[in-house]
Amino acid sequence: MLRKLLISFWLLSLPGLAWADSQWVLEQGTLTYHVSHPLHQFDGVSHAAKGKGICHDGECNFLIAVPVKSFDSGDSNRDLHMLQVTRGAQFPFVTVRTRLPESAATSATITLDLEVQFAGQTFEYKQVPFQRSVQGSETRITGTIPAKLTDFKIDPPTLLTMPVKNEIPVRVDLSWGPMR
Amino acid sequence: MVLDIAGARWPCFAGIAGAFLIIISAPSLMAQAVGELTGTVTDPAGTPVAFAFVSAINVETGRALPAATATDGSYRFSLPSGNYRIKFESRGYETLEIPAANVTALSTVVENCVLAPVERPQGNTTAEQAQKAAPSTSNKPQEPSLEDLGITPSQAKGNAREQALLDRRSHMLKIHQRLGLITIAPLGATLITSAFAGGRQTSRASRDAHAALGTATVGMYFSTAYFAIRAPKIPGTKTRGPIRPHKTLAWIHGPGMILTPILGEIAFAQKSRGERVHGIASAHGPVAIVTAGAFGLAVVSVSVKF
Repeated sequence: MLRKLLISFWLLSLPGLAWADSQWVLEQGTLTYHVSHPLHQFDGVSHAAKGKGICHDGECNFLIAVPVKSFDSGDSNRDLHMLQVTRGAQFPFVTVRTRLPESAATSATITLDLEVQFAGQTFEYKQVPFQRSVQGSETRITGTIPAKLTDFKIDPPTLLTMPVKNEIPVRVDLSWGPMR
Repeated sequence: MVLDIAGARWPCFAGIAGAFLIIISAPSLMAQAVGELTGTVTDPAGTPVAFAFVSAINVETGRALPAATATDGSYRFSLPSGNYRIKFESRGYETLEIPAANVTALSTVVENCVLAPVERPQGNTTAEQAQKAAPSTSNKPQEPSLEDLGITPSQAKGNAREQALLDRRSHMLKIHQRLGLITIAPLGATLITSAFAGGRQTSRASRDAHAALGTATVGMYFSTAYFAIRAPKIPGTKTRGPIRPHKTLAWIHGPGMILTPILGEIAFAQKSRGERVHGIASAHGPVAIVTAGAFGLAVVSVSVKF
């Protein structure tokens, strides 16, 4: 009788174990875009990224959001112009969604499919490599998203009638920790 | 003698009058080359839809010009002649397009629009639709949403009016930049001709040429300045980076561009009377050089990263 009760309890507890979600929170995030112009090059940096990951049924879903306004290139005029061409007032956030199997989150190099929403457009980047390192309870993810202006239907801004390059790689440096 | 002096001064007066005409008429000339596109956006009950996003897309070039409706639902564009597609978008309403509106110079085209409300976005939505209709929700309960990140729907909602302000600012500053670059040509030519206008052995023709080029420079300069001064300011923006010296230098070349032609006019009169340039007029050259130098530095300050 006791054995039957134990088996019943164990069977009942299985779905509960399967539904035991874990969550991640972005503790520190830096995104840096790089723009090349025939006369000079510049970077725009944002430290205002927010993010969360929910692991469920062996799969983790992550969302990162960054206000477009928060990117700082060291020149207020240029930042306002970037805000204009990227329609940053109408679409105030850049969001990045990705998912990966929970087991893959332990590798030193992970490749991710990213769904990026920016300037009112959605673009998917397939198999983007990221480096993963663990420091204590913190997991650091670094990599570069090979973004292009045309991916988001953005007209290249010009200076002295010369347009910037179409490629605007975005360097990502994210430190994740378990949600307490 | 009197007639001779008057005759000698005429090219300079004509030049200055021409410059003022250019300065005064530049914006109105540009306005005359365009037509008006206006209308009102309402819902089916006739209630005005405020802050709706309206785009006028040139059918030939594909170039889109944005605007936002006012609180009474009205919108207004000043557009170059052409055929335009008009797109109306607003949160909670179906997007509507008018395929063709023909705008001709000096005419006003009225296109009113009634937007149908939408319940919820269904199925595959574009990023635009999704962000407008439900910017903070995710597709599945296991996926984090913007609200999970502490971003409220009002924070995630776009501001069409602010975007229209940014678009107008950029448009005006692009014209400012182009006119500024064009101004370098007459400015350089004026500096070169100054070598033949101010010495002892100068001819009336060389002085006239110098005065005419200087006048054109001043006209171009103030047209350039107009577009920078009238460009909308974005509240809460602190000036940082190379734009600071660019703006500071305007306090040198701005007054210089007013002072130089005045001093030049006095110097012109003195030379035309057969006198040597003397008194305050002798500052014309140095003031012009400082002004041109400050203008050149202002262009360089935003062109080259230091």
